[in-house]
Amino acid sequence: MAEFNVSTRNIGSVDIIELKGYLDAHTAPQLEKTFNELINSKKFKVVVNFDKLSYISSAGLGVFMAYVETMRENNGDIKFTNLQDKVYNIFDLLGFPMLYEFFTQENEAVKKFGEAE
Amino acid sequence: MILNKLNLSQSSKLENAIILSVILFIIKILLPVYSVFTLIISEVLMLSAIFLWSEYLFNLLKKNKNQEISLILNSGITCALIFFVLSVSGTVIDTEEKFSFQDNIVSSIFSLLVIFIFIYLVMYIFSVIRYLFFLRQKKEPGKYFVTMMIFMLLAALSNTLLTLDYSLDYIKKTFFFVSIILIVINSIRVSWIAFLTKKQKLYLLLISIILSVLFITNYGISSDNVFITQIISPFSPSFYTIFNLIMIYGGIYFGIVFFTALFHLPTAEAFDRKAVEVSSLMDLSKILTKVLDIKELAETITELTINVCNTDCSWLLVKRDDKFDVAALKNIGFIEANNISEKITQNKIFKTENILTLKNDELVFNFKEQTLQSQFRSLVAAKLIIHNQIKGYLVTARKSQIPFDDEDIKSISSFADYAAVALDNANLIKESIIKERLEKELDVAREIQYKILPAKTPDFKNIQISALFIPAFEVGGDYYDFFLLSENKLGFVIADVAGKGISAAFIMAEVKGIFETLSKLIESPSVILSKANEILINSLERKSFVTAIYGILDTNTGKLKFSRAGHMPLLLISDGEANKLTPPGLGLGLDNSGSFENSIKDMEIQLKYNDIVVLFTDGITESKNSDLEDYGYNKFENVILENKAEDPDRIANEIIKDVSTFSVSSEQHDDITLVLIKWKFNNFSLEK
Repeated sequence: MAEFNVSTRNIGSVDIIELKGYLDAHTAPQLEKTFNELINSKKFKVVVNFDKLSYISSAGLGVFMAYVETMRENNGDIKFTNLQDKVYNIFDLLGFPMLYEFFTQENEAVKKFGEAE
Repeated sequence: MILNKLNLSQSSKLENAIILSVILFIIKILLPVYSVFTLIISEVLMLSAIFLWSEYLFNLLKKNKNQEISLILNSGITCALIFFVLSVSGTVIDTEEKFSFQDNIVSSIFSLLVIFIFIYLVMYIFSVIRYLFFLRQKKEPGKYFVTMMIFMLLAALSNTLLTLDYSLDYIKKTFFFVSIILIVINSIRVSWIAFLTKKQKLYLLLISIILSVLFITNYGISSDNVFITQIISPFSPSFYTIFNLIMIYGGIYFGIVFFTALFHLPTAEAFDRKAVEVSSLMDLSKILTKVLDIKELAETITELTINVCNTDCSWLLVKRDDKFDVAALKNIGFIEANNISEKITQNKIFKTENILTLKNDELVFNFKEQTLQSQFRSLVAAKLIIHNQIKGYLVTARKSQIPFDDEDIKSISSFADYAAVALDNANLIKESIIKERLEKELDVAREIQYKILPAKTPDFKNIQISALFIPAFEVGGDYYDFFLLSENKLGFVIADVAGKGISAAFIMAEVKGIFETLSKLIESPSVILSKANEILINSLERKSFVTAIYGILDTNTGKLKFSRAGHMPLLLISDGEANKLTPPGLGLGLDNSGSFENSIKDMEIQLKYNDIVVLFTDGITESKNSDLEDYGYNKFENVILENKAEDPDRIANEIIKDVSTFSVSSEQHDDITLVLIKWKFNNFSLEK
C-alpha cells in the first residue's frame, strides 16, 4: 500500500500544506479533512507544497477543485509549489496552470499572498 | 437370543403358547390319572408355554417403550393381586383338608384356570424386571440373564424330578441356590435409575420398598402350604419353583432399586439440572444452524437461561455503534433492563461497594437493597466475545440474594458463547448481503459501460481502425466513440471521467449523449468541447471532471482536425518517430469562468501513408509494476514503433501484451482504452 502523509504549518497568515507520497482515491479523504479544518478555522490562504508528493490521481486533483472556490470567495486561494516534473505534467495536461498559480519555491507563493494584501 | 434362532414371530409365539396351554389343559382334563409319563409330558408343555409366553410379553414391552415408573407400578399391581389371592385363599378356605384337582371335573377346570392366570401374572412381572434389566445398558449383558434363566429352568425341572425321587433334593437345592446368586448379580444392573428426574426417584423410592416387601411376603405365604400352593405345586412342581424364584427375584430386585434410588436422591437435583442444560445446549445448536435472525435466537437463549439457572429474568445486550441495545428480554420491563444495562456497560456499577465477586471473567454481583433501584438483588452479566471484542452481554438476575454458584455461571457463560456465535453468524450474513448488493451494482455499471461503447469500429477504405477497452476491477469512466458525420468525415472521441464506480458510469453515459448530439450540430472540435464543458459544468460535482479529445478526420484527404480538453496527448507515429501532440485545453468541468473557451485550441495535421494516430487513457501510461513505477511513455512509444508496420489490431495486441508483462504482479487499477487509426492511402502518389 502506497503511503501518504499530510502536515500543516503556517507562515504568517498563510497556511502551508505539505504532501508526501501517493495522493489517490484512498488517501484523498485525509487531504479533504485538512482542508475542512482550515476552512472551519477561517484560514483561506493556502500554499500546497508538493515537494515530497510522487503521484497524484484524478481523485487527488478533485480535492483542490472542491475547495478552491471557497478559498477564493473568502479572499484566499490555493497555490501550488515545488512540484516534481511528473506531478506537474499531470496538472499541466489538465490545464491547471490556467486556473491555479504554480511556483517553484514555497516562499514565492507566500510572498504572492503578501502582495495581494 | 435363543428365540431369535428359533425365528418365531410375535404372533406365532402367542399362538404356540396358547396351543400348548390348550393341549396341556386337555391332557390334564383327560388324563387325570397320575403317572410319570403324563407328569413329564405336562411339565415339558408347561415350561414351553411359560417360556413362549414370557418371550411374547418381553418383546411386547420392548416394542411399546413404556415409562419405567408405570411398568413398575403395573407389576406392583400384579404382585398385589397375587398377594391378595394368596392371603385370601390362605384365610378363607380351610387348608387342613387336602385339596386335589383330580377330585372332579369342575374343580379341575377351576384349578387349571387359576394356574393359567398365575402363569400370566408371574411372567408379566418377570418380563418387566427383564425389560428393566436391559434398559440403558451400554454393554451386552444378555449372557448373564440367559445363564440365570437356564438355572431357574434347571431348578424348576429338578423340583419335578423331586416328586419322583426325593433323594435328589440336594440337586434342586443347588440349582435353587445358584439361581438366587445369579438373581442377586443381575439385580445390581439398575443404571436406569440415574436417568429419572428427582420427582420420579422419590416416587420410585416409595413404590420399590412396598414392592420388595410384597414380593418377599408372597414368597413367604406360598411356602406355607396355602390353598393356591396346593393347587399349583402338585399340578406343576416346576412352575411352583419358578413362581418362588420370581417372587424372590422381585423382592431382591426392588430392594436394590430402593437403596439405589435412595443413594441417588441427594445428587438427583444436580443431575436434573445437568440433563436440562445438556438438552438445552443441544436444542440451541440445532437452532443455531437454522435461525438466521438473531432476534429469534435471543428469545430462546434468554428463556433457557431462566430455566436452567433458575433465575427470575434474563435479557440480551447487543453492541450497535458503540452502544449496547437490549436485543431480547424475558420477565423484565424494557426500561428496567435498559437502566441496569447502562450501569453494567458503563462500569458505573463498580463504583458501588456492593460487588460480591468477579469469577471466571464474568460479572457477578450481589447487591444491597436500592443499589439497582430495582427488585433484583443478584445478577450475572456474561460477556459475548467475538474476535476478542465484547459484542454484548447475556444478563440474568434473581430477586433473592441467593448468590450464583460456579455451575450457574458456567451455564450462563456457555449460553453467552452460543449467543456470540449466533451474533457473529448473523453479522456475517448481513455483510455478505451488502457485498452481494455492491457486486450487483458493479455489474450494472459494467453493463452500462459496455453498452455505451461502440459495438464495432467503422469501415473506411483509406483507414484501418482498432479500438480496445479493458475494464479494471473497479468500474471506471473510460469512453470512446466514432461518429459518421458525412460520407468522408469521421468524428471520433476519447474521454476519461475522473472517479470510479456507478457514478462514473452514469457521467460517461451523459458524456456519450453530449457528443452524439454536438457532433451532428457543430463541425469544430474546439467548439464541441467548449459546449460540452458548458453542459458538464452544471451536472458534474465540483471535484469531478472529464478529459477528452475530439477529432474529425477527412477520409479522402487525410486531414485531421482535433482538440484536447485536458486529456492525455494524441500520439502521432510518423516517419519512424512518435510525437506527443498536446494542443492547449482545460479538462471539462474544471472551470466556468470562461477560461475554457480561451484555453482551447484546434490543431490540424496532415496524415501521410502509414501514419498512426494513437488515442489512449492514462490506464496505459500509469500501469504500475510491483515497485509502483509507471509504465510510462517511453515503453509505450517503443512498442508502437517496433510494430508500426503491422496492422492496428496487431499493434494494439502488442501494446497490451507489453503493458501486462510490465504490470503482471500488480492489480490493474484503472480502465485501459486504446484507439489506433492507421492511414493507408498514399496521398503523394495521388498528387503526382
